[in-house]
This record gives sequence, C-alpha cells and structure tokens, in this order.
Amino acid sequence: MMPDMNQVGGAPQAWQPQEKVPTVMLDHVSKWYGNIVGLNDVSIAISGGVTGLLGANGAGKSTFFKLLAGKLKPSQGTIRLFGTDPWKNSSPYSRIGYVSENEELYDWMTAIDFVATLARLHGYTREEALVKAKNVLEFVDLADVAHKELGKFSKGMRQRVKIAHALVNDPELIILDEPLQGCDPLARTTIMNVIRELGAMGRTIIVSSHILQEIERITEQIVILNNGRLLALGNVHAIREMLDAHPHKISLTTNQPRELAKKFIEHDDVFGVTLPTDSNLIVQTHNLGAVHQDLPQIILDSGCMVTAIDNPDDNLESILGYLTGGQ
Amino acid sequence: MSAKDRPLVDTVYSKLDRKATAIFEFTMRQYRTRLSTWATLGVGALILMIVMLFYIEGMTETIEAVDNDGDSFDSDNDGYVDGQELLLGTAINNPDDHPGLLNPPVPPDPPEKWINEDDFDVKSIGNSASYGNDDDGDCQVRVGQVGFDDYTDDNNNGIDCDIKIRESFNRYIIDKDPNVDEDPDEDAYYKETVHRGFILGFGKIGFVFVLGIFLPLFLATGLIRDEMSGGTLHYIVAKPISRAEVLTYRLLGYIGLTWPYFAVLTIISAIITGLMGPGEGFFRFADLFLWFGIFIATILLSTAYAAIFMTMGVIHKYGMIGAIVFGVWEFSMAITSVFSPETTVTQLSLARWGMIIVDGFATITWPDSQLLVALGQSVTVTNWDFGFSYESSLEGADILEGFAHKTPLTGDPIIDILISCTLLFTITVLTIVIGQSIFKGKEID
Repeated sequence: MMPDMNQVGGAPQAWQPQEKVPTVMLDHVSKWYGNIVGLNDVSIAISGGVTGLLGANGAGKSTFFKLLAGKLKPSQGTIRLFGTDPWKNSSPYSRIGYVSENEELYDWMTAIDFVATLARLHGYTREEALVKAKNVLEFVDLADVAHKELGKFSKGMRQRVKIAHALVNDPELIILDEPLQGCDPLARTTIMNVIRELGAMGRTIIVSSHILQEIERITEQIVILNNGRLLALGNVHAIREMLDAHPHKISLTTNQPRELAKKFIEHDDVFGVTLPTDSNLIVQTHNLGAVHQDLPQIILDSGCMVTAIDNPDDNLESILGYLTGGQ
Repeated sequence: MSAKDRPLVDTVYSKLDRKATAIFEFTMRQYRTRLSTWATLGVGALILMIVMLFYIEGMTETIEAVDNDGDSFDSDNDGYVDGQELLLGTAINNPDDHPGLLNPPVPPDPPEKWINEDDFDVKSIGNSASYGNDDDGDCQVRVGQVGFDDYTDDNNNGIDCDIKIRESFNRYIIDKDPNVDEDPDEDAYYKETVHRGFILGFGKIGFVFVLGIFLPLFLATGLIRDEMSGGTLHYIVAKPISRAEVLTYRLLGYIGLTWPYFAVLTIISAIITGLMGPGEGFFRFADLFLWFGIFIATILLSTAYAAIFMTMGVIHKYGMIGAIVFGVWEFSMAITSVFSPETTVTQLSLARWGMIIVDGFATITWPDSQLLVALGQSVTVTNWDFGFSYESSLEGADILEGFAHKTPLTGDPIIDILISCTLLFTITVLTIVIGQSIFKGKEID
C-alpha cells in the first residue's frame, strides 16, 4: 500500500463506535494517587446534552477528566467512551474533543497553525486540516486573529483557541475542564454562548466548574463531586429542591435589627431569626423562594433601613455542606 | 461507503502517514523555534571547525628535510658529496680522488639531491619475500667489496639490499638490510600520517562520539519529557493516535534535524581535508569513502543514543541525570575504544561499535596504514634539542599508530562493519520498543 505522500486523500474514515452504548460510562471507578484518593467509586453514564460537573478545588473533577482523556489509568473499575476503554485504545478520540485545564499552548505557533497541526493528528490532510481550522476559529470568534502568534493572546483568547482545537474533528463528545477559569466577564459570556450553542447542536458536552452560577447559566443537568465521591446527579432544579429541604439563611444589614426580626418571625416560612451583631440579622427558612418574594414588602412594612441583603448559602461550599449532611 | 468505493489513497496507511508527517513536521518546527537547538548545533559546528584549524596548520607547515644517512656531507671537501662518491666508487676521504677525475668527468651533484633520496618503496604488502629498493645505491655498492659484503644481507633472506616484512600479532615487523630505504621524505611521511591520524581521531572522537552523544543529550532527552512537564502532551495524546506512534514520530523529527546536520558537517570536513591533504591530485577522492563511514557511524550511534535518552526522559522527569551518567560511561569507553580497541569491557558500551565502523572503513580506504607506521618506526632519526641529541622514529608514525587500528572482531573489515551496524540498529529498535511500552503505561498528570 502506497503512503499518501502528496496528502491529497479524501476525508478520513471515522472509527465506528459500538451501537447503543452510553457516550461516557464509568462503572465503580476509583483512582488514588498513593494514599490520596482522587476519585472514589464513581458510577455514571452520560449521553447527550450539556452536563455540568461541579465540585470544589480538589474534589476530583480533573481526575475525572484525565481518566476520560486516557491520561490516567483507573485504579479500579471500568471506563468506556463509546464502549471502548480510552486507556488501552485511542480510537474513540476521533469522536472526542478534550480541553484540558492546563493553560500551556505552543506560544510560537499561530492560532490557525496550532489548530491545523493538531487536526492532522485526526488523519486529515494538510488542506482539509486548514479548512477545518479556519471554520472552528470562526466559530469561536477568533477568525481575525487566526494568523497571530498564540504567545500574544489574552487568557480568554487562549481558552477559545483550546476549545477551537477540540472542535476541529466535529466531535460527538466534548470535554471542557474549567473553560471559564481566569477569563474576564466578556470572554466568559462568549465561551458560555459557544458551549450552549454546541449543546443545542446535539453534542454531548461535559463541562466542569467550581462555581454554581456559571454552571447554571450553561446547563440544567449537573453532577456534583465532593472529595472524590459522586454526591448528586440530576437537574439543577432537582438539586435546588434537595437543597430546599435544608434550612437556608438570609443575612440583612440594618440599623434596627430587632424591629426587623419581629416582622420576619411573623412570616410562615421563617422558623428562626438570630442577631449575631448589633447591625446584623440572619433569617432562617426552609422555603427560600417564598421568603425572597415577600422580602421587599416585609422591609417596607417595618420601615427599617436595610443597607445590604446577602444570601450566604449561595456558594458551593455551603451547598456541599448541606448535601453531605451538614458536616 | 464500502471498502471497494474508497479511493486507494484513503486507507489506514494514508491516515497513518498523515499523522506521522504532522508530528514529524511539528517536531522539526518546534526545534527550529528553540534557542537551545541553535546553540547546540552551533557550538558543535564551532568546536569541529576550531579543531579543523589545527589540521590546516599541520598541513601547511613543512617538516625540515633531514639527511638521515649523512651522505649529503662532503667529507673530503672536494665538491662531491659522499653519496655520489660512494656510488661512483671514489674515495670519500681523499680530496684528490673524486668523480671529476673520471673519464668522462662527472659533474658534482647539488647536496640537496642526497637528502631524502632513498624513500620507502613498499606501497602494499603481498606474499613476496623481498621488498624495498636501494634508490641511492649506498647498499648496492658494498656488494662484493671486501669487509662490506658480509653486511649487505642482514635480514638473511638471501637477497642483497632489500627489506623483509613479516606480520606478527597484527603488527608488521620490518627487517632491513643496511642503507635500504633509510632516507625517506620526512615532510611527505609526516603529512600523510598526520592527515590519516587526524581524520581518524577527528572522525572517531569529534564526530562519532562528541556530536553523536551531545546532540541527542540536548535534543532528544526532552522529546517526550518536555511535553509532559510543560503540560502540552495532552494536545497530542488525547487524539486518535497511539502513544507508541507519537514516540516514534518524535524520534523521526530528531532524525530529520540531525542527519542532515551531520551530513553537512561531514561534507564540509571531507572537502577541507580532501583539498588540504597530501597527494598528487588536487583532491583526495579515496578519503571520501572513509568520510562516508564516519557519517554512517555517527548517525547510527547518535540515533541509538537518542532513543535511549528519549526513553530515559519518558521514565522520569530527571531522566537527564540518568542520561548524563550514561554519557560519562560512554565517554570513558569511547576514549578507551579509540586508543585500545581490544579492551574487553568496551564491548558493553555503544561507542565502541561506532569506532569499529570507522576503523573498518579506514582499513578499506587505507589498507597500508599499519605498514606505514612500521616503516616510519624502522627509520631512526637523530633529533637535536637544546644541544642534546635523542633518537626517535620518523615524525608522524606515533600519531598514526595511536589512531589507526584493525577492526578487533573478525579482522575482516566488511564483516566487522556489518556486525557493528546491525548491533547498533538492533539496539535502537529495541530501545524504541521498550520506550513505547513504558510510554504506553505512563500516567500523565
């Protein structure tokens, strides 16, 4: 068989996946580094749609992704991508795009060069790779800087180049490890739009973050990891409802906390009020939504001056705290 | 689309070579953008060219002609040097007896004619029992003379005024009758031996060893390791390409950079030594064969080292340390191999096999090197230094003796070259296979 020295062949033949298997399947997967547990007995199957992987730093998100990317070998359990073990066989990667959390790029390459060179590893010819690279750079809105060196790119641009390189093979599964990290708000919005758009195109997307609000803006389907364990899995609303079973807190800063406390205690859904300082009031409730709805009226009725309203629950740590039983 | 409809070029092989060329080109371009690449290549070329200057200096200086047999001296001051008087049968110590009084009278020779007048006549050695020729006749005139005749066949081979050469333990023993081939051309001998010694030493140490090990040390150790440490390896690994292929194609990128570099340096060196070297033609074409051998030895050894260093880099992030330790071992073995190739322990090194390739090509190019050494050592030169005299063999003989060796394996240069090339190639392939399997099992953080 003659090698294709002139690089004029047609489109590469795609590797054929097994039919009717989940895109991503982890079965009792554990991964530990010496004595440190990275991932602990995780079983999950993901097919289609955008899935948010939520967890604090060190919760095992990157371990999870590195296992999917074939960079790490599971200590226990089995991983299948399109029914194939990614550690032993690299063929599923023809249908996968992987964006690592690592921010290193080949700074000496231009964006189009970088994307096209890596596209050729999918088996495309030089010309095919260039066309594909041009398309994906356009998709992530970097067409005008395609011939600029990566070393001169901003953080948001670098993230987008990484995403572009992962999209070049038209992947069915896209894995994005902290794609919003270190980006300014504008870049965040652009990247979120790109991810949503890809989701709308019917791809399976797994995106990780340690910030709930970010994930909420991208998807409703989330997976929560904590200390290497799979903590919750499902719709973001379902998780919210689970959270509602736990008391929520609202913190108010006011000049008359005692007056305001009297008003709040009358509300049906409020079961407790504390006054940690002279100007501070904490309201405890099982129904955050209802209290939030009535909050303006209560404040108006009391005639107190409220300078700040804060929802201390609305961060990942406290949510994880509730889910793990208030530890 | 069925396999039948698929275009012929669009097969698993074509995909394979697309990936191969992608990584090959990428590796070459990556080398090109690194300052360390240019520094390594530049320093290597600079050092070689500086050493080359010593050669040029050696080739341009002239060794003063020495009258080893003293026959350019006119003992009786009659205007005729002793050599001419001896040849024509007049007395060397009687001013009233000289060839000018013969009938017809012979004009006196200029004294220079009797310096370097009896050069080596043996060019190659066969089955003959007798070699050499008494060009100036100072042995021949003694034949039949009373008192002298007993000393015209010192080597007892029944032939007057010749040289007997025999081989003993891979060395030539030169057994001369007196005054035969006793006044060679010092300058020609020095240039020939230094030329050969230089190419051998320069080729073995400079090319095969120094370039052969330093280039892979600096350019191959990081082929995979740098990508691992830099966190960029996942761009290549999380692709439909096996890690074994990645490793192989990265090494191909190294080959693509270094082989042409070695070729260019070899050609430059071959041109300089070919033009500057002694000889009747304007260029020593025969030497090109040896330069080809030096090139072969360099690329084989350097690629073997590259595979080893790259694998060390895959194994551990401090693989460079292992590579340096290995390099020190190879260095000591290389030096040992250059000067005493028979040393057994050198068989455990790679460098030795590279040296054997050079020795093999040198033996084919210059089959008479050992003979040249023996002839040079058969002449005794009296040197004067600070008023003291000391005797030595012909200048240049020791240099050539130091660097020119027969191949130590079977003794047949062609077979020894083949054995060494096969061995180095096999080690390279084995190391690549080991490196591939280690890389496959390596977790990348």
